[in-house]
Amino acid sequence: MREILNIKNLNYKKNNKTILENINLSVSSGKIIGLLGENGAGKTTLMRLIAGVNSIPEDVITVNGTTKKAAVKENVSLSDQLGGFAKNTKLSEVVKFYQNVYSDFSVSKYKEISQYLGLDNDKRLSGLSTGTLGKLVIALTLSRNTKLYLLDEPLSGIDSMSRKKIISSIIRWKNDDSTFIISDHYVTEIASLLDDVIIIKDKTIYEVSSVEAIQKKYHLGVEEYYEGVYEGSVTK
Amino acid sequence: MEYIDNIPIYLQIKDILYRKIISNEYELGSQLPSVRQLAVQFSANSNTVQKALKEMTEENVIIPQRGKGNYVTEDVSIVSKLKDHIVTEMFDTTYDKLHSLNMNDKEITTSFNNYVKQREQDHE
Repeated sequence: MREILNIKNLNYKKNNKTILENINLSVSSGKIIGLLGENGAGKTTLMRLIAGVNSIPEDVITVNGTTKKAAVKENVSLSDQLGGFAKNTKLSEVVKFYQNVYSDFSVSKYKEISQYLGLDNDKRLSGLSTGTLGKLVIALTLSRNTKLYLLDEPLSGIDSMSRKKIISSIIRWKNDDSTFIISDHYVTEIASLLDDVIIIKDKTIYEVSSVEAIQKKYHLGVEEYYEGVYEGSVTK
Repeated sequence: MEYIDNIPIYLQIKDILYRKIISNEYELGSQLPSVRQLAVQFSANSNTVQKALKEMTEENVIIPQRGKGNYVTEDVSIVSKLKDHIVTEMFDTTYDKLHSLNMNDKEITTSFNNYVKQREQDHE
Protein backbone atom coordinates (compact mmCIF):
# COMPACT_ATOMS: atom_id res chain seq x y z
CA MET A 1 0.00 0.00 0.00
CA ARG A 2 1.16 3.50 -0.89
CA GLU A 3 1.44 6.28 1.63
CA ILE A 4 -1.35 8.77 1.03
CA LEU A 5 -0.74 11.09 3.97
CA ASN A 6 2.34 12.03 5.92
CA ILE A 7 2.61 14.57 8.70
CA LYS A 8 5.99 15.58 10.14
CA ASN A 9 6.33 17.48 13.41
CA LEU A 10 3.14 19.44 13.12
CA ASN A 11 2.68 22.15 15.74
CA TYR A 12 -0.28 24.46 15.57
CA LYS A 13 -1.18 27.47 17.67
CA LYS A 14 -4.23 29.68 17.50
CA ASN A 15 -4.39 33.00 19.35
CA ASN A 16 -1.20 32.00 21.12
CA LYS A 17 -2.79 28.84 22.45
CA THR A 18 -1.35 25.45 21.48
CA ILE A 19 -4.02 23.37 19.75
CA LEU A 20 -1.86 20.55 18.41
CA GLU A 21 1.75 19.69 19.09
CA ASN A 22 4.30 17.24 17.83
CA ILE A 23 1.93 15.44 15.47
CA ASN A 24 3.59 12.75 13.36
CA LEU A 25 1.49 10.48 11.21
CA SER A 26 1.70 8.16 8.23
CA VAL A 27 -1.44 6.79 6.57
CA SER A 28 -1.44 4.24 3.76
CA SER A 29 -4.01 4.33 0.98
CA GLY A 30 -7.22 2.32 0.78
CA LYS A 31 -8.07 2.42 4.45
CA ILE A 32 -10.95 3.75 6.51
CA ILE A 33 -9.57 5.33 9.63
CA GLY A 34 -11.33 6.66 12.71
CA LEU A 35 -10.03 9.89 14.20
CA LEU A 36 -11.08 9.74 17.84
CA GLY A 37 -10.84 12.31 20.56
CA GLU A 38 -13.10 14.20 22.94
CA ASN A 39 -14.73 17.47 21.92
CA GLY A 40 -12.11 20.16 21.63
CA ALA A 41 -9.26 17.66 21.25
CA GLY A 42 -8.33 19.19 17.91
CA LYS A 43 -9.91 16.71 15.47
CA THR A 44 -11.51 19.40 13.31
CA THR A 45 -8.34 21.51 13.37
CA LEU A 46 -6.26 18.54 12.25
CA MET A 47 -8.65 17.84 9.38
CA ARG A 48 -8.63 21.48 8.29
CA LEU A 49 -4.84 21.49 8.37
CA ILE A 50 -4.65 18.33 6.26
CA ALA A 51 -7.11 19.81 3.76
CA GLY A 52 -5.03 22.97 3.51
CA VAL A 53 -7.77 25.24 4.87
CA ASN A 54 -5.81 26.39 7.91
CA SER A 55 -2.41 27.76 7.21
CA ILE A 56 0.89 26.11 8.23
CA PRO A 57 4.35 25.86 6.66
CA GLU A 58 4.16 23.98 3.37
CA ASP A 59 6.54 21.10 4.05
CA VAL A 60 4.78 19.66 7.12
CA ILE A 61 1.93 17.82 5.43
CA THR A 62 2.34 15.59 2.39
CA VAL A 63 -0.75 14.27 0.60
CA ASN A 64 -0.35 11.80 -2.24
CA GLY A 65 3.30 12.71 -2.60
CA THR A 66 2.89 16.48 -2.76
CA THR A 67 3.34 19.28 -0.22
CA LYS A 68 2.16 22.05 -2.55
CA LYS A 69 -0.98 23.65 -1.11
CA ALA A 70 -2.92 23.81 -4.36
CA ALA A 71 -2.15 20.19 -5.22
CA VAL A 72 -3.01 19.07 -1.70
CA LYS A 73 -6.42 20.75 -1.99
CA GLU A 74 -7.09 18.82 -5.18
CA ASN A 75 -6.34 15.55 -3.44
CA VAL A 76 -8.51 16.11 -0.37
CA SER A 77 -12.27 16.25 -0.02
CA LEU A 78 -13.19 17.70 3.38
CA SER A 79 -16.80 17.61 4.53
CA ASP A 80 -18.28 21.05 4.97
CA GLN A 81 -21.34 21.84 7.07
CA LEU A 82 -22.44 24.40 4.42
CA GLY A 83 -22.65 27.21 6.98
CA GLY A 84 -21.35 29.65 4.37
CA PHE A 85 -24.48 29.39 2.22
CA ALA A 86 -27.56 31.56 2.69
CA LYS A 87 -30.40 29.61 4.26
CA ASN A 88 -32.67 30.01 1.25
CA THR A 89 -30.13 28.47 -1.16
CA LYS A 90 -31.56 25.58 -3.15
CA LEU A 91 -29.74 22.24 -3.03
CA SER A 92 -29.34 22.40 -6.81
CA GLU A 93 -27.55 25.75 -6.41
CA VAL A 94 -25.20 24.28 -3.82
CA VAL A 95 -24.43 21.49 -6.28
CA LYS A 96 -23.71 24.06 -9.00
CA PHE A 97 -21.35 25.86 -6.64
CA TYR A 98 -19.46 22.63 -5.95
CA GLN A 99 -19.29 21.93 -9.65
CA ASN A 100 -17.77 25.37 -10.30
CA VAL A 101 -15.28 25.28 -7.45
CA TYR A 102 -14.07 21.69 -7.77
CA SER A 103 -13.03 20.43 -11.18
CA ASP A 104 -13.14 16.85 -9.82
CA PHE A 105 -16.78 17.12 -8.72
CA SER A 106 -18.83 14.48 -10.53
CA VAL A 107 -22.43 15.47 -11.16
CA SER A 108 -23.37 11.95 -12.19
CA LYS A 109 -21.94 10.55 -8.96
CA TYR A 110 -23.85 13.20 -7.02
CA LYS A 111 -27.06 12.18 -8.80
CA GLU A 112 -26.56 8.53 -7.89
CA ILE A 113 -25.73 9.23 -4.26
CA SER A 114 -28.42 11.88 -3.73
CA GLN A 115 -30.99 9.54 -5.23
CA TYR A 116 -29.86 6.73 -2.95
CA LEU A 117 -30.11 9.05 0.05
CA GLY A 118 -33.47 10.41 -1.06
CA LEU A 119 -32.41 14.06 -1.37
CA ASP A 120 -34.77 16.49 -3.09
CA ASN A 121 -32.63 18.98 -5.01
CA ASP A 122 -35.48 21.49 -5.35
CA LYS A 123 -35.52 22.01 -1.60
CA ARG A 124 -33.79 24.86 0.16
CA LEU A 125 -31.18 24.47 2.90
CA SER A 126 -33.57 26.08 5.41
CA GLY A 127 -36.07 23.26 4.83
CA LEU A 128 -33.67 20.46 5.71
CA SER A 129 -33.73 18.47 8.94
CA THR A 130 -30.38 17.79 10.63
CA GLY A 131 -30.46 14.25 9.23
CA THR A 132 -31.10 15.40 5.67
CA LEU A 133 -28.40 18.06 5.93
CA GLY A 134 -26.01 15.33 7.06
CA LYS A 135 -26.95 13.29 4.01
CA LEU A 136 -26.39 16.28 1.72
CA VAL A 137 -22.97 16.93 3.24
CA ILE A 138 -21.99 13.29 2.63
CA ALA A 139 -23.32 13.29 -0.94
CA LEU A 140 -21.36 16.44 -1.78
CA THR A 141 -18.16 15.22 -0.11
CA LEU A 142 -18.25 11.79 -1.77
CA SER A 143 -19.05 13.24 -5.20
CA ARG A 144 -15.59 14.70 -5.56
CA ASN A 145 -13.11 12.28 -7.13
CA THR A 146 -10.14 12.63 -4.82
CA LYS A 147 -7.67 10.39 -3.04
CA LEU A 148 -8.37 11.38 0.54
CA TYR A 149 -11.76 12.02 2.10
CA LEU A 150 -12.04 13.70 5.47
CA LEU A 151 -15.42 13.35 7.16
CA ASP A 152 -15.74 15.54 10.23
CA GLU A 153 -18.29 14.00 12.60
CA PRO A 154 -20.63 12.89 9.81
CA LEU A 155 -23.07 11.25 12.24
CA SER A 156 -23.19 13.90 14.93
CA GLY A 157 -26.76 14.79 15.92
CA ILE A 158 -28.26 12.62 13.20
CA ASP A 159 -31.17 10.19 13.63
CA SER A 160 -30.43 6.48 13.44
CA MET A 161 -32.13 5.82 10.08
CA SER A 162 -30.09 8.57 8.42
CA ARG A 163 -26.95 7.37 10.18
CA LYS A 164 -27.37 3.92 8.66
CA LYS A 165 -27.90 5.39 5.19
CA ILE A 166 -24.83 7.59 5.56
CA ILE A 167 -22.69 4.65 6.66
CA SER A 168 -23.85 2.48 3.78
CA SER A 169 -23.29 5.26 1.24
CA ILE A 170 -19.68 5.47 2.42
CA ILE A 171 -19.29 1.72 1.86
CA ARG A 172 -21.04 1.82 -1.52
CA TRP A 173 -19.15 4.74 -3.03
CA LYS A 174 -15.67 4.32 -1.58
CA ASN A 175 -13.13 3.41 -4.25
CA ASP A 176 -10.74 0.67 -3.22
CA ASP A 177 -7.74 2.97 -3.46
CA SER A 178 -9.29 6.03 -1.83
CA THR A 179 -8.71 6.67 1.85
CA PHE A 180 -11.19 7.89 4.45
CA ILE A 181 -10.54 9.57 7.76
CA ILE A 182 -13.71 9.85 9.83
CA SER A 183 -13.79 11.76 13.08
CA ASP A 184 -16.27 10.96 15.78
CA HIS A 185 -16.66 10.86 19.50
CA TYR A 186 -19.20 8.03 19.44
CA VAL A 187 -17.26 5.13 18.08
CA THR A 188 -19.46 2.06 18.29
CA GLU A 189 -21.53 2.88 15.27
CA ILE A 190 -18.63 3.28 12.91
CA ALA A 191 -16.42 0.67 14.57
CA SER A 192 -17.36 -2.02 12.03
CA LEU A 193 -16.24 0.34 9.28
CA LEU A 194 -12.77 1.10 10.53
CA ASP A 195 -9.42 -0.49 9.69
CA ASP A 196 -7.45 1.70 12.06
CA VAL A 197 -8.00 4.34 14.69
CA ILE A 198 -6.01 7.45 15.51
CA ILE A 199 -6.56 8.56 19.09
CA ILE A 200 -5.90 12.21 19.89
CA LYS A 201 -5.30 13.10 23.51
CA ASP A 202 -3.55 16.00 25.23
CA LYS A 203 -3.05 17.92 21.97
CA THR A 204 -1.13 15.15 20.28
CA ILE A 205 -1.53 11.67 18.80
CA TYR A 206 -1.73 9.20 21.65
CA GLU A 207 -1.80 6.13 19.45
CA VAL A 208 -2.40 4.78 15.97
CA SER A 209 -3.57 1.18 15.97
CA SER A 210 -5.58 -1.26 13.90
CA VAL A 211 -8.99 -2.05 15.36
CA GLU A 212 -8.12 -5.73 15.20
CA ALA A 213 -4.96 -5.25 17.27
CA ILE A 214 -6.99 -3.53 20.00
CA GLN A 215 -9.52 -6.36 20.03
CA LYS A 216 -6.83 -9.01 20.13
CA LYS A 217 -4.43 -7.34 22.54
CA TYR A 218 -6.86 -5.92 25.09
CA HIS A 219 -10.00 -7.97 24.43
CA LEU A 220 -11.83 -4.68 24.32
CA GLY A 221 -14.04 -3.01 21.76
CA VAL A 222 -12.72 0.23 20.26
CA GLU A 223 -15.18 2.33 22.27
CA GLU A 224 -14.17 0.76 25.59
CA TYR A 225 -10.51 1.03 24.73
CA TYR A 226 -10.80 4.66 23.73
CA GLU A 227 -12.76 5.54 26.87
CA GLY A 228 -10.20 3.63 28.92
CA VAL A 229 -7.42 5.69 27.36
CA TYR A 230 -9.17 8.92 28.34
CA GLU A 231 -9.97 7.71 31.84
CA GLY A 232 -6.42 6.44 32.26
CA SER A 233 -7.56 2.88 33.02
CA VAL A 234 -5.89 1.45 29.91
CA THR A 235 -2.27 1.93 29.04
CA LYS A 236 -0.39 1.12 25.88
CA MET B 1 -25.51 -5.43 11.95
CA GLU B 2 -24.85 -6.00 15.63
CA TYR B 3 -21.30 -7.04 16.30
CA ILE B 4 -19.59 -8.16 19.46
CA ASP B 5 -17.27 -5.25 20.27
CA ASN B 6 -14.16 -7.09 21.28
CA ILE B 7 -13.97 -9.77 18.57
CA PRO B 8 -12.42 -8.86 15.20
CA ILE B 9 -15.20 -8.09 12.72
CA TYR B 10 -13.69 -10.28 10.00
CA LEU B 11 -14.01 -13.33 12.27
CA GLN B 12 -17.65 -12.50 12.98
CA ILE B 13 -18.36 -12.07 9.27
CA LYS B 14 -16.65 -15.37 8.51
CA ASP B 15 -18.76 -17.08 11.14
CA ILE B 16 -22.02 -15.68 9.70
CA LEU B 17 -21.04 -16.71 6.16
CA TYR B 18 -20.12 -20.20 7.36
CA ARG B 19 -23.51 -20.58 9.03
CA LYS B 20 -25.21 -19.49 5.81
CA ILE B 21 -23.26 -22.10 3.88
CA ILE B 22 -24.05 -24.84 6.41
CA SER B 23 -27.75 -23.95 6.44
CA ASN B 24 -27.68 -24.04 2.63
CA GLU B 25 -28.72 -20.41 2.26
CA TYR B 26 -25.60 -20.26 0.11
CA GLU B 27 -25.75 -23.58 -1.75
CA LEU B 28 -22.81 -25.78 -2.67
CA GLY B 29 -21.18 -24.49 -5.83
CA SER B 30 -23.13 -21.22 -5.81
CA GLN B 31 -21.65 -17.78 -6.28
CA LEU B 32 -21.28 -15.53 -3.25
CA PRO B 33 -22.36 -11.89 -3.47
CA SER B 34 -19.57 -9.50 -4.48
CA VAL B 35 -17.24 -8.00 -1.90
CA ARG B 36 -19.03 -4.67 -2.09
CA GLN B 37 -22.47 -6.26 -1.76
CA LEU B 38 -21.26 -8.16 1.29
CA ALA B 39 -19.66 -5.01 2.70
CA VAL B 40 -22.96 -3.13 2.42
CA GLN B 41 -24.89 -6.07 3.87
CA PHE B 42 -22.50 -6.34 6.82
CA SER B 43 -21.97 -2.57 7.26
CA ALA B 44 -18.29 -3.32 7.15
CA ASN B 45 -15.47 -2.04 5.09
CA SER B 46 -14.40 -4.03 2.05
CA ASN B 47 -10.90 -4.66 3.45
CA THR B 48 -12.56 -6.46 6.36
CA VAL B 49 -14.79 -8.52 4.06
CA GLN B 50 -11.74 -9.37 1.92
CA LYS B 51 -9.96 -10.62 5.01
CA ALA B 52 -12.86 -12.93 5.95
CA LEU B 53 -13.00 -14.25 2.37
CA LYS B 54 -9.24 -14.80 2.32
CA GLU B 55 -9.43 -17.07 5.36
CA MET B 56 -12.43 -18.89 3.90
CA THR B 57 -10.40 -19.48 0.76
CA GLU B 58 -7.44 -20.75 2.78
CA GLU B 59 -9.81 -23.11 4.57
CA ASN B 60 -11.02 -24.34 1.16
CA VAL B 61 -14.65 -23.45 1.86
CA ILE B 62 -14.85 -20.97 -0.98
CA ILE B 63 -13.00 -20.92 -4.26
CA PRO B 64 -12.17 -17.64 -5.99
CA GLN B 65 -12.53 -17.66 -9.76
CA ARG B 66 -10.57 -15.07 -11.60
CA GLY B 67 -12.77 -12.19 -12.66
CA LYS B 68 -15.92 -13.98 -11.55
CA GLY B 69 -15.89 -13.74 -7.80
CA ASN B 70 -16.11 -16.38 -5.12
CA TYR B 71 -17.89 -19.71 -5.26
CA VAL B 72 -18.89 -22.05 -2.45
CA THR B 73 -17.04 -25.36 -2.64
CA GLU B 74 -18.85 -28.31 -4.22
CA ASP B 75 -17.15 -30.67 -1.78
CA VAL B 76 -19.79 -31.92 0.67
CA SER B 77 -17.18 -33.28 3.07
CA ILE B 78 -15.68 -29.80 3.63
CA VAL B 79 -19.06 -28.35 4.53
CA SER B 80 -19.97 -31.25 6.78
CA LYS B 81 -16.65 -30.87 8.61
CA LEU B 82 -17.46 -27.20 9.04
CA LYS B 83 -20.84 -28.14 10.45
CA ASP B 84 -19.31 -30.64 12.89
CA HIS B 85 -16.92 -27.96 14.01
CA ILE B 86 -19.62 -25.38 14.69
CA VAL B 87 -21.90 -27.92 16.40
CA THR B 88 -19.02 -29.02 18.62
CA GLU B 89 -18.32 -25.41 19.54
CA MET B 90 -21.95 -24.94 20.59
CA PHE B 91 -21.96 -28.14 22.64
CA ASP B 92 -18.65 -27.20 24.27
CA THR B 93 -20.19 -24.18 25.94
CA THR B 94 -23.39 -25.94 26.98
CA TYR B 95 -21.63 -29.04 28.25
CA ASP B 96 -19.19 -27.01 30.35
CA LYS B 97 -22.03 -24.98 31.83
CA LEU B 98 -24.01 -28.09 32.76
CA HIS B 99 -20.92 -29.65 34.27
CA SER B 100 -20.38 -26.60 36.40
CA LEU B 101 -23.87 -27.28 37.83
CA ASN B 102 -22.43 -30.55 39.10
CA MET B 103 -24.33 -32.71 36.61
CA ASN B 104 -22.67 -35.94 35.50
CA ASP B 105 -22.66 -37.22 31.91
CA LYS B 106 -25.62 -39.50 32.48
CA GLU B 107 -27.72 -36.71 33.95
CA ILE B 108 -26.74 -34.41 31.09
CA THR B 109 -27.73 -37.04 28.49
CA THR B 110 -31.06 -37.78 30.20
CA SER B 111 -31.93 -34.15 30.60
CA PHE B 112 -30.99 -33.40 27.01
CA ASN B 113 -33.18 -36.28 25.73
CA ASN B 114 -36.09 -35.05 27.83
CA TYR B 115 -35.54 -31.55 26.51
CA VAL B 116 -35.67 -32.71 22.89
CA LYS B 117 -38.88 -34.69 23.58
CA GLN B 118 -40.43 -31.63 25.18
CA ARG B 119 -39.55 -29.48 22.17
CA GLU B 120 -41.06 -32.10 19.83
CA GLN B 121 -44.29 -32.06 21.82
CA ASP B 122 -44.34 -28.26 21.76
CA HIS B 123 -44.22 -28.44 18.00
CA GLU B 124 -47.15 -30.86 17.65
